[in-house]
Amino acid sequence: MLEYSPLLFLLPLLAFPAILFGWRWLPSKGASLGIAVMGACLLWSAAALTSAIFADLILPYDWTVSWFQFGIYDVALGVHLDGMTLCMLFVVTLVSFLVQLYSLSYMHGDPRFHRYYAFISLFTASMIGLVMAENLLLLFMCWEIMGLCSYFLIGFWFEKPEAAQAGRKAFITTKLGDLGLTAGLLLIFTTAGTFSLNSLQEMVKLGYFPAETAFWAALLLFCGAIGKSAQVPLFIWLPDAMEGPTPVSALIHAATMVAAGVFLVARTFFFFEVDPAALHIIAYFGAITAFLAALMGTVPEDIKRVLAFSTISQLGYMIAGLGVGGPQVGMFHLTTHAMFKALLFLGAGSVIHAVHTNDIWKMGALSVKMPVTFITFSIGVLALCGIFPLSGFYSKDEILHAAAASGQWPVAALLFITAGLTAYYMTRVLVLVFLGDARDRERYGHAHESPGVMTAPLVILAVFSVFLGFLLHGKTWGGLVPVKLEGHHHEISVLIVALASSAIAFTGIFVAWAVYRKRVVDYEELRLKFSPVWSFLYQRMGFEHFWLFWAAASYRFSAFLAWVDYHILDQGLVDGWAVVTNLLSRAGGWFDRVVVDNLVDFWGWLTARSGQLVRGTVSGFVQSYLLYLILGVGLILALRLYF
Amino acid sequence: MPLLSLIIFLPLAGALIILMMDKEKTKAIQKVGLIFSGLALLASLVLLIDFDPSNSAMQFVEEFSWIPALNVKYLLGADGLSMPLMILTTLLSFISLIASLGIDKRVKEYWFWFLILEVGMLGVFVALDFFLFYVFWEITLVPMYFLIGIWGGPQKEYAATKFFLYTLFGSVFMLLSIIALYFASEPHTLNMLELMAQRDAFFAKGMTFQMLVFLGFYVAFAIKIPMFPFHTWLPLAHVEAPTAVSVILAGVLLKMGGYGILRVNLPMFPQATEAFLPFLIVLAFINIFYGSLCAMAQKDMKRMVAYSSINHMGYAMLGIASMNAIGFNGAVFQMINHGIITGSLFLLVGVIYDRTHTRDIDAFGGLGAKVPLYAGVMTLACMASLGLPGLAGFVSEFLCFLGAFGPWKLWTMLSVSGILITAAFFLRMIQKVFLGPLNEKWSGLTDMNARELVTTIPLAALTVALGVYPKWGLDLMNQTMTSLAQLVTKQ
Repeated sequence: MLEYSPLLFLLPLLAFPAILFGWRWLPSKGASLGIAVMGACLLWSAAALTSAIFADLILPYDWTVSWFQFGIYDVALGVHLDGMTLCMLFVVTLVSFLVQLYSLSYMHGDPRFHRYYAFISLFTASMIGLVMAENLLLLFMCWEIMGLCSYFLIGFWFEKPEAAQAGRKAFITTKLGDLGLTAGLLLIFTTAGTFSLNSLQEMVKLGYFPAETAFWAALLLFCGAIGKSAQVPLFIWLPDAMEGPTPVSALIHAATMVAAGVFLVARTFFFFEVDPAALHIIAYFGAITAFLAALMGTVPEDIKRVLAFSTISQLGYMIAGLGVGGPQVGMFHLTTHAMFKALLFLGAGSVIHAVHTNDIWKMGALSVKMPVTFITFSIGVLALCGIFPLSGFYSKDEILHAAAASGQWPVAALLFITAGLTAYYMTRVLVLVFLGDARDRERYGHAHESPGVMTAPLVILAVFSVFLGFLLHGKTWGGLVPVKLEGHHHEISVLIVALASSAIAFTGIFVAWAVYRKRVVDYEELRLKFSPVWSFLYQRMGFEHFWLFWAAASYRFSAFLAWVDYHILDQGLVDGWAVVTNLLSRAGGWFDRVVVDNLVDFWGWLTARSGQLVRGTVSGFVQSYLLYLILGVGLILALRLYF
Repeated sequence: MPLLSLIIFLPLAGALIILMMDKEKTKAIQKVGLIFSGLALLASLVLLIDFDPSNSAMQFVEEFSWIPALNVKYLLGADGLSMPLMILTTLLSFISLIASLGIDKRVKEYWFWFLILEVGMLGVFVALDFFLFYVFWEITLVPMYFLIGIWGGPQKEYAATKFFLYTLFGSVFMLLSIIALYFASEPHTLNMLELMAQRDAFFAKGMTFQMLVFLGFYVAFAIKIPMFPFHTWLPLAHVEAPTAVSVILAGVLLKMGGYGILRVNLPMFPQATEAFLPFLIVLAFINIFYGSLCAMAQKDMKRMVAYSSINHMGYAMLGIASMNAIGFNGAVFQMINHGIITGSLFLLVGVIYDRTHTRDIDAFGGLGAKVPLYAGVMTLACMASLGLPGLAGFVSEFLCFLGAFGPWKLWTMLSVSGILITAAFFLRMIQKVFLGPLNEKWSGLTDMNARELVTTIPLAALTVALGVYPKWGLDLMNQTMTSLAQLVTKQ
């Protein structure tokens, strides 16, 4: 069955133009096609994953076809399937399918409904392409096309200036990271002469790839991940990306695309393994991101912004997990996170759909009106907090355990604190949205449970959020993912880590419960008391200002260069030449007129004058001529006599 | 059948017929122009079928003695370098002529000059005798001068004169170099292939000779490309020229410079090239970085696209300075893609200028909902121009970087920043023109009409096709570029 895998990429890819141009002739404006295609892809991935786990599939599976040549080099289009990619494919197709189903109702009546489905299809195609790609160039192409879809879907409601601005910000910020990624590709190809991941892995293994180059290649690839997976310091685009429709946030900016950076690191892990320093660097990047984003997640009043910071924080977790525990650990958390974060976003979408606001202070007590959303959302929250036995518990614990065992105490400490903060801010949201009093009576009055097409995906995701961790835990996905970092420095009991992390999570929940539910302190007063801290967090710790400053500076610099180009180079030097030439030609003209021409005239005048002078002698009188003759002869005689 | 001559002189025949027609019969004139330009396009496609891409030697060679006293020959031939550029020329000329159907001022002269321009451009790409090459090179100047000077914008005379003088300035140096080569060769010849075979003799004349001759050609070609600091004619000429002429200017004329460097400078003077390489790479970087930053500061859409051309030709020069087959492939492919992409960008800017009579980026807003088709095609062209993977520009830019990265790590890394700046100004333009709330002033704007679609959709389709399957473009040139790379490195 694996030989059909290219279809997984091609079908949604073809659905894109089909929906974009043919939506008039398709049922439900093309949404049906998108959903049908994704349903087929989902069935295939589920079947493939199941048979992989029960081990009647021969993996890895590789398939390539020649693409194009330059010089002596050949670039192939290729598919590479192993346990990790199959698992990722299942996640992508499942979330995409559910999101498309959900959007039927959520996006109903939007004037650009068909365009929404077209871009979701293109996005899913490129995400699938990225996951399956055997070749770094193809992976990079899919990576960028996903970025384009993200740009279009963030700015989907482009009449809103904020949405248009957020789309551009996302594109440019991730592009900044992609500069590093591009340089990494250049370095890798120049060193190895191939983009094929299998060949590269082989070369690194056999030591044909210089270790130092591998280290730099790893760091440059990681630059791409910093942009795409919203790590410090490039995370600023992700909170703004929440301007897009909520299902898009669930699919692209929570479950799949932003996880592509994590996937990239996992896929090219053989470069990172070469030098432990590279792993330490990414572990620190991840841990710092996880911690800072969790801090920033405690203040927003926009429910989607909280979830966005939470996503950044969890992506940091995954990156740190890669750094301390290897691909298996990082990818495990990616998988479980995709389920419960998509669930949380779709739940938030359900709430927003009901109350028409993102502001958690205008919600409250919605558990009564929206029981299904409430229950599934709570499951998502508990899974994210890492409460036993939900899926987040297993995956988070593996990371925490690896961090503790690696002996990198700062990383482990930051991740443990983050676990507490996560529990705190998620409980805050849960309490403010679903419990307590309805703060906005009017919005509360209009609120109602979402239709089945929206709640069904919530239930399905909730089921996965509960069981997936338990199912995948310890199985290493049927032994499919080989790499688990060896060389743990410290033996730490799994139980101790589990107990410690649970204790911290419960502390976070307890504090938030006390503050927002029991009101043991007045949070308004608390906010005012710590207002500098609060606004520092609210303004994203200055990262936003930092980048905006550079953007403005480069714009001013460009204006200066354009000024130089026009006034100095063009008007000054080039036209200056023209002016100089013009002056020279005038000077030449003057010289020609006054000096040369007068000189010519002077010759004429001289000739005429001398002619006039001489003319007098030629009088025609024979007497005169005789006189001249005598004078002449006399002169000659005189000369003869004296000399 | 002398297909190359046929392709070159089909537009000339059209021009001559138009010359004999009644100037009132504009429809007939346009028909004749389209037919002959279309025939040239068809003939070039027929040529493409016969073309053997696995052979790096000159094909379809036509050779006749022209001026025996000077050993001047009528010598034509095409290889993997000329072939794609020739098809680009016939294609863009035909499309530009369709786009020129809207021109109603002095129609006869316009179409006449346009077809003459096509003759000159085609000739440059296939002439293999320097005398002939120079004749065609100069032929392109005159029609361009009139096309900008008569049918241009407010500053048309200034722009036309500047363009003419600038290019002529370069041509003079080229002529000097050609004469120097003539006298340096034994027996005296202007045959490029023979001169290439005699390049060791030039080296024997000393480095100074080689470097001076190199510089003579380089100045002429650098002005056309245009390389910093010879680029200032370009924004002006592009802005003032009518839409179709801008398309040709950016799409084809700039490529004559890149073609010249690959055809003349590199293979004939490898040692001088070697000596100048550090300058070439730095200039390429300046073109990329400076061109894109200047583009970012522009308020006029056409000016912005014009500056982006400087940036894009910088990528091509980066590929050329790599001195390897990857970079050369990238450079030629980049020239083709730039022709297609920037050609469509100019056409698209023309579309909105025809309707609103402004090109000020700040004058619009929210047009995306009003003219979705236009917004879609324009966004596609912008994305292609900023090097989005899956569209044509990406592969060629990437190959240029890839070729240059080996020998020039630092400069290539710095040049990669061009991608970011290009993305920044194109997205800024898209945002200001198409996104946000609709500027009520343009609530009556109409979407693209059939003629505009006919000109832009084929280019858009090509952009996608070459982006997804670059083999179609790369296979044409790969063999020639590989042997060129061997030629320039084998001393």
